[in-house]
Amino acid sequence: MTAKYKCKCWLTFEGGRQNEPCLWKTTTKFPDVSFDIRQASVQQDIGVMAVLFSGEQDRVEGALAYLREQGVKVDPVEGGDLVTG
Amino acid sequence: MSFIKSLRCKECGAQYPVEPRTVCDNDFGPVEVEFDYEAMRGKVTRQSIESGPRSLWRYRDLLPIDGEPRAGLRSGFTPLIKADRLARELGVKELYIKDDSANYPTFSYKDRVVAVALTKAIEFNFDTVGCASTGNLAHSVAAHAAAAGIRAFVMIPHDLEEGKIIGSLVFGPRMVKIRGNYDDVNRLCSQIADKYNWAIVNVNLRPFYTEGAKTHGFEIAEQLGWQLPQHTVVPVAGGTLLPKVYKAYREFITLGLVEDNKPRFYAAQAAGCNPVSQAIEQGTNLFKPQKPNTIAKSIAIGNPADGYYVINLVNESQGYSASAQDQEILDAVKLLAQTEGIFTEPAGGTTLACAIKLIESGRIPRDESICVCITGNGLKTVEVMQGQFAKAPVINAKMTEFDQIVEQIAETPPQTTQPPVKA
Repeated sequence: MTAKYKCKCWLTFEGGRQNEPCLWKTTTKFPDVSFDIRQASVQQDIGVMAVLFSGEQDRVEGALAYLREQGVKVDPVEGGDLVTG
Repeated sequence: MSFIKSLRCKECGAQYPVEPRTVCDNDFGPVEVEFDYEAMRGKVTRQSIESGPRSLWRYRDLLPIDGEPRAGLRSGFTPLIKADRLARELGVKELYIKDDSANYPTFSYKDRVVAVALTKAIEFNFDTVGCASTGNLAHSVAAHAAAAGIRAFVMIPHDLEEGKIIGSLVFGPRMVKIRGNYDDVNRLCSQIADKYNWAIVNVNLRPFYTEGAKTHGFEIAEQLGWQLPQHTVVPVAGGTLLPKVYKAYREFITLGLVEDNKPRFYAAQAAGCNPVSQAIEQGTNLFKPQKPNTIAKSIAIGNPADGYYVINLVNESQGYSASAQDQEILDAVKLLAQTEGIFTEPAGGTTLACAIKLIESGRIPRDESICVCITGNGLKTVEVMQGQFAKAPVINAKMTEFDQIVEQIAETPPQTTQPPVKA
């Protein structure tokens, strides 16, 4: 049984980020991190998305950092928690 | 008797047991306390409420506690003032001020939400309570925790006004200043609640905490003689108050305690931190988070937790929003003080300044009833008013000099008084 890190986040895409494939780029770079989209709303100027990230902790944190690098605002919903799975 | 049914996700409707919880597991939407209104019918009446204590606990059947109230026994039931002098100044017919600058014990509306959250924290057997705060909440958590004998940790932005810091420290909490703005503090508090298993009132007790804000709305309706104002102007920070005043009005309508006059809600924000007002004015229901830059620090929340719901409820009620510049905020603080004798903090100035804009633009009709929600006391933030007034004249203790001064200043409006200073 492998320890998995899970982190619930709200992602906000604005300033043109909503028109760029930021998530696709991240999934390509971090194929071992699971992106579970729970809800999303995208409008002309802004998009928000609720995502449950899971995987090895350093990889999840790497994916979040990469999203931030691309200009996506990442707000953890709660503190990240370790679960077994 | 408790009328609580469950916690319910505001997005997908998923139900959860009554427990410390912030969001839904499915879609991360906020959860809210759901009550059994059918069971309340005939039991929660105007008479049952009127026979309760002169505090927010007269509405305890509509609050999410199981046992007896354990905090804030003298909080709430603040004055609703018919502000005739201010109404004349603004050219409106019927204007009310709901004055939580007089709330007990820490002079802001936060004493309402903390009274409920602390009671719930005790029911859940937490030994430590805490909060992320722009000042007023820290005061209230510290004071209520001291009175209840519970350990308190308050986390605040590092650049908060000195008066607000002292106003917390006097109650003996552990205080931590966090480098960053309120949103940074709030994010850290989410992790603290998770790691230390503390009751962070506006994080893991948020569903219970926010219900306390309903009492602001219940009181408006009861004190207005069991009717609703047609227009209610509410300051928006994290977005707790407006949806809960809305919910309070709806609950009274559902229970048949007031008539549904289709009340409209208006969001008031400072121009230096107005994500919600901006979204409403742009006709979108998604707001863009902002970096706050305003003197109204107690409402400077750039990424409001319940901002989305504020936008939807304002639109649903056919209300609107406004934003006020810093000088307009200060002018409104002075206007309220000099017409009604109420000294509010910049958040209250923001609300009044926005109400004035909404009246002048015709969004709020001049001949209908208006309630302006004042949520904090100006004595906590006197430093922001520095430089706003002419200096008082200094004279020798001689009647002739006094006579001269009286002639010069007696008929001059107070704000523009510029008398000569005599040695």
